[in-house]
Amino acid sequence: MNRAEAIETIATVASSDDAIVSTTGLISREFFERFDSERNIYIPGSMGLSSSIGLGIALSRNNRRVIVVDGDASLLMNLGTIVTIGNKRPRNLLHIILDNGSYASCSEETSMSHSANLSRLARNVGYEYVRNADSCNRLKCAIVSFKRGPGFIRAVIALGGLRDFRRPLKLTEIKERFMRFLNQQRKG
Amino acid sequence: MKTKIFNSLGTNRAKLAYHAHKSFVRSGVNFATGVPCGVLKHIIRNLDNDRRILHIPVNRESEAVGLAAGAYFAGKTPIVYMQNSGLFAASNDIASLLIPYRIPVFFVVSYRGCRGEDAVQHLVTGRATERLIRSFELSFTVFEKHTYDLGALIDTMFRSMIKIKLPEFLLLKRGWCV
Repeated sequence: MNRAEAIETIATVASSDDAIVSTTGLISREFFERFDSERNIYIPGSMGLSSSIGLGIALSRNNRRVIVVDGDASLLMNLGTIVTIGNKRPRNLLHIILDNGSYASCSEETSMSHSANLSRLARNVGYEYVRNADSCNRLKCAIVSFKRGPGFIRAVIALGGLRDFRRPLKLTEIKERFMRFLNQQRKG
Repeated sequence: MKTKIFNSLGTNRAKLAYHAHKSFVRSGVNFATGVPCGVLKHIIRNLDNDRRILHIPVNRESEAVGLAAGAYFAGKTPIVYMQNSGLFAASNDIASLLIPYRIPVFFVVSYRGCRGEDAVQHLVTGRATERLIRSFELSFTVFEKHTYDLGALIDTMFRSMIKIKLPEFLLLKRGWCV
């Protein structure tokens, strides 16, 4: 599974009611380029904070499912938030890590995810649902089977992929669109 | 002769914190997060005791900025509390998340490293705090005088913050006012 396939799997398996918070760098840029939607918020700066932002949304709107699409280096940069998530136990939060073991949006410098055992960390700090996925099908199954959070899916992806995506630039418009989306009643 | 100006205004602080809290509630605050500082203990206790406010303490100041941004996206009115040392830790998150997205977050910041400070680790950040906020072209108020109405000050700061949709900072010195 590569980044493009993992992102496509998340974007197609997620419900139209889910809010999607994507992390800094190529993950947000690929989401924006290929699957831009009112349900998305992109976090181009403040690396590491997509999980904290997702937690803030999930705690404030507990009837809205929130999917955070994080990277391994981004998670490691703000590791404290998984402790906060495990402590607050939001049932509506699904935290997906696209783990290529590197700072892929920089020049693919190695991160420390290979020695960190992220899934065990997540379980130890209190995530309710923890899965590993190394194929699109397993990632899809892990998302579909998620019922009660906080959930953690470590999706192992290959390095590489396209890099020349547009950047989300009109951030205040994206914010207002996302806030309107969060304000809508959930369908069904 | 140098007089000791800190740690002597505890009861006054409790009263001021009460007025600050009333103003937060008037201004619609219903979400709070931050990292504790002894200077802010009354403010934090009031947040904890108020069931109208969802209070989520965190491990580091950057996290608080992220949680507050998420809460704001979801329609809440957040405040964030921290020491000024933490403001430096969270400065990139203020600059690269709150400002470009225009997210109004009210910061209550304890202001260590001012005149009379006895802890050397606060001196550099103390001297740089106001310059840091100014360098981001954001506005702040240092609460210094007993006679000022803290509640009314916070009301005014909130109104301006909601209008311009940018973070706003209330700096409280160790004794809150001297």
